[in-house]
Amino acid sequence: MAGTMMIKLVFSGGLELLFSNERNQSVLIPSFVPSDNSTHSSPSSSSSTPSSYNDTPSTGETKAADLEYLIYHLRDHLLKERPELFMENGTIRPGILVLINNTDWELEGEGSYQLRNNDEIVFISTLHGG
Amino acid sequence: MSSCGNPAVEEQALMPRRSKFGKSKDCVRCRLKPGNIVIRHAVYCKECFTPIVELKFRKALEPSVNARAGTSKRPKLKASGNLCLGFSGGLGSSILLDMVHNTYFSNQPPLDDSGKPRGGINHPRNASVWPSCIVCYVEVCGAFPGMQDKTEDIRTIVEQYPSFDFVPLRIEDAFDESWWTKVSGSNSTPQVWLELSKEGLITDGLHVASKVTGLTPVEAIRLYLSSLPTQTAISSALQNLTRVLILHTAHSGGSSHLLFGSSLTSLSISLLSAISQGGGYAIREELQEEWAPVATSGSKPSNVLRVIRPLRDVTAKECAVYAWWNNVSVIGRDKQRRAILGIAALTKNFVVGLEKDYPSTVSTIARTCEKLEPKDAPSGQCRLCKRPMQSAIQEWKGRISIRSYSDDKLAADLAHIPLPCRSNLDTSTPSQVPPLLALTDFLCYSCHTTLTSRSSRGVKQTAPGISSVTPLPIWVGDRGLHGDGLMGGGARRKIPEQEMLDTVANFLIDKQDDEE
Repeated sequence: MAGTMMIKLVFSGGLELLFSNERNQSVLIPSFVPSDNSTHSSPSSSSSTPSSYNDTPSTGETKAADLEYLIYHLRDHLLKERPELFMENGTIRPGILVLINNTDWELEGEGSYQLRNNDEIVFISTLHGG
Repeated sequence: MSSCGNPAVEEQALMPRRSKFGKSKDCVRCRLKPGNIVIRHAVYCKECFTPIVELKFRKALEPSVNARAGTSKRPKLKASGNLCLGFSGGLGSSILLDMVHNTYFSNQPPLDDSGKPRGGINHPRNASVWPSCIVCYVEVCGAFPGMQDKTEDIRTIVEQYPSFDFVPLRIEDAFDESWWTKVSGSNSTPQVWLELSKEGLITDGLHVASKVTGLTPVEAIRLYLSSLPTQTAISSALQNLTRVLILHTAHSGGSSHLLFGSSLTSLSISLLSAISQGGGYAIREELQEEWAPVATSGSKPSNVLRVIRPLRDVTAKECAVYAWWNNVSVIGRDKQRRAILGIAALTKNFVVGLEKDYPSTVSTIARTCEKLEPKDAPSGQCRLCKRPMQSAIQEWKGRISIRSYSDDKLAADLAHIPLPCRSNLDTSTPSQVPPLLALTDFLCYSCHTTLTSRSSRGVKQTAPGISSVTPLPIWVGDRGLHGDGLMGGGARRKIPEQEMLDTVANFLIDKQDDEE
């Protein structure tokens, strides 16, 4: 599909339980997304997915798809239960490690990292303790 | 971007967020490759990261391997017994299993160019430090109806390491006389039961019931947990039961070392949580301890078990990345168990949130606790949690809490509480309870608080038909409970008056000296 990117996702450390127990998934993300991270008209949305938590219409301004948008997209379209265990205060919940192509997202600008086609994003929960 | 919170400045004048790493994105160790991970403001590449974590593991463990420190700076490692690993299925213990296997039990040592074992003869992989290793897992599904039994999943994980022997335990073993007989050799330990008050509360007096009701171990543990007053108490009780089960299993199996996979993050959480629940006296034992069961009088002292947490310098983030890059499979803990609320869960949320923005503070918590030391020597070992017990706890509680009522109306309200439990509340009424039935002096402050704390959400009501007693773990009744304070094993002894006088005789000032 024109203007979209394929992003590979991996969930580990128990986080896969929130995403239909599927460790490896992939999503189609538009190259340009609403600046307010609205996921209402995402190419991955369908009638079988849970209703979006962010149903307010987009203001029209767009930005290059970044990791912050991807997190909203996952919450609104792939997450099956307990959104508070994945997202908190508009970002990933503390205790969840994010790797972008095997690199810590803190080195790549965290939520402002601009996604590229075939990027691999790994979400690992560190909350299972010892 | 973060706001400084000053309402006088422009709303858009936001303070730039502090960078989470140094100036360069290259690895600080090799300085050749771009970094892959940020650990407490330091950047490491993937190749340098794993050896650093393994080095931290060995530095935390190896100084405690040999029974005696010796004078050599790099002694040959040789333990006096075998090794026991506490395994929960969580992140830290999964990594512990992997590291211990790779470092000390791997059968194929890498060779250098000359064909000799790399690292020299003193390298851990080339010498048998421990002759064998057992992996203990405690299944808790018996305590919670409907929880899935994960023992076989855990067994599958442990079988990936053929050098390890799997020893599955169940949480209800704490109430199983047959298990206690196997680990202690004692076959006549009485089951201790606590008398409950009319409202179903474990009373402050902690009096032992006179009657005994036969229950299966599963029924006993469910009754015990349901009798606890708060969610915090349930969480704490489960941790104590798990730890004591593993302690006794390791000790009876001839282990000289018991390792737990607590990461720095988990350790900081447990330290703060323990202090919050009155366990500050045993804070050093939370970090590392040398443990042995209290011996009965006349028997020889048993070997000491060193309890170590070798991942105590490795954060949860490092554990997660290590597991990911080294393909260590992590089962994780059951969601139902992790959902238990209380101080432990609240502390975890606090510390994990703190670690995100201020990663060094988590290390500060552990480092500060390492410097703490109790003022006086312990007066014995707590019967419930098997940790050192502070002396004069009841006297201290008596100084800080209300122990008597002068108001007639309040005194009359005591009438609904059974007589044996009333003595601690109403000092105007002479106690009619023989000392034999009081458990209070055998418990540390933390365990006493666990059993008697009150929830702000109100008290639980005892359902009709439910027994008015609650069982305690089987080891509480070990060596009996004697009213004269003589517990055996030298844990606590009532000193006769003449002996006390003889001890202080040299320090007494005679009346004759005063007159002179």
